[in-house]
Amino acid sequence: MSRLHDMGGRYGDGPIPIPRNKNNQIENYEPVFKYKWHAKAWAITLAAGALGEWNLDVSRHFRECLPPRDYMNYSYYEKWLAGLTNLLVKRNIISVKDLKHFTTLVEKQEINLDSVIKSELDKRAWLAKDVAKTLGWGGPSFRETKISPQFNIGDKIKTVSYNPNKDVKGGHTRLPSYAMGRTGTIHSYHGTHVFPDKNAHGNGENPLPLYTIEFKGEELWGAMAEDKNSCIFLDLWEPYIECHI
Amino acid sequence: MDTKKDKDNSHSHSHSHSHSHSHSHSHSHSHDHDDHHSLLPSDPELRVKAIETLLLSKGLIDSETLDELIDTYENKIGPQNGAKVVAKAWVDSDYKKRLLEDATSAIRELSYQGRQGENMVVVENTPEVHNVVVCTLCSCYPWPVLGIPPTWYKSDEYRSRTVREPRKVLSEFGVKVDDKIQVKVWDSTAELRYLVLPMRPEGTENMNEDELAKLVTRNSMIGTGLAENIK
Repeated sequence: MSRLHDMGGRYGDGPIPIPRNKNNQIENYEPVFKYKWHAKAWAITLAAGALGEWNLDVSRHFRECLPPRDYMNYSYYEKWLAGLTNLLVKRNIISVKDLKHFTTLVEKQEINLDSVIKSELDKRAWLAKDVAKTLGWGGPSFRETKISPQFNIGDKIKTVSYNPNKDVKGGHTRLPSYAMGRTGTIHSYHGTHVFPDKNAHGNGENPLPLYTIEFKGEELWGAMAEDKNSCIFLDLWEPYIECHI
Repeated sequence: MDTKKDKDNSHSHSHSHSHSHSHSHSHSHSHDHDDHHSLLPSDPELRVKAIETLLLSKGLIDSETLDELIDTYENKIGPQNGAKVVAKAWVDSDYKKRLLEDATSAIRELSYQGRQGENMVVVENTPEVHNVVVCTLCSCYPWPVLGIPPTWYKSDEYRSRTVREPRKVLSEFGVKVDDKIQVKVWDSTAELRYLVLPMRPEGTENMNEDELAKLVTRNSMIGTGLAENIK
């Protein structure tokens, strides 16, 4: 079974919440961050990530592991903040006592951003002067290896039927439920990339072949498919493929 | 545009205080029960403030870094970058060829690169094919060329429905795709990031790159829109 974040194909969701301008036209240029706290939650998450204590796959998995009730109720940046909070405690960067203390301080309005007494900046902290450089470099997932891909472009394959993560119950994976146990065609190959199912759990990068695989809408949605011609492309690692067909 | 998923100043999170667990965390398989976030204030704005002041007090984050990050994505990195890539591809067929063959390198020619765009793929709209991009598992999006994703891209509605009923979703954006045109949906499940190359509008033969770039909307590069026609 999967988790709530794995929602591709789910029924029940209503119209897309598309913003419109005064003339009722679709708005392409709404503010990047609607509220200051959205921007802060986002920037704090990036800055905390830059401490180097976890990777992108770990932080994704922590968001996915929020209790379903919270995952559903929280807006986007609330999820980010909650996942980050759990991760900071789990990695002993902050303590439960710290959390309770600062919660009390802000609730009683006994602290604000100007009055906070700052320690000397940690050696790991991301400096403003390095922001552009670090963003420009990014965090590529491609790794040069000698691993040969087992599948060729054009091969017909079937994906595995269950969560491919064999290490951890309810563990992280990037194979969505809607594409499990389905037949597709290898569309392209991208070399070996860090494998999230391992990397999200501190089990190493384990780079493995990554393919883009094409699935027909009818294969994924059966008789309920919207039309016969649509197709859906997913980027899947080799262990997500069960076999040639 | 306020929806349930965008309830920004909600105080409705008192429930989250009721299920904080104090039992020992002996479940080796998971950290599902370490819901420390539920200790934070119920108002999301105060929650952010609590974490921000805590990390500042420990010297783990720097206020100037947060300001620099926010300024970068509010003012420097955004869909105006992607629009320049598209406009260049429209006027320069050699560039377009490079863009479709190795998007990462071709986009780097314009100095757009890095975080959340380390491995770029460009998919081309044609009279036969319409492409649309989604991330069903989270919110993967090509930051160097489009910036931070809009709220609707991160919504449950877009994430759940686009892979199953793309034509219906597109129609909500005002994009009517003829039955004869094939719809291709790209679900960003790995670290490849997708940019749609929209079709060049008719009647723009005499326009230069800068003029053309103004016709390239953000949504046209996600696939939920078309490039604007000249007025």
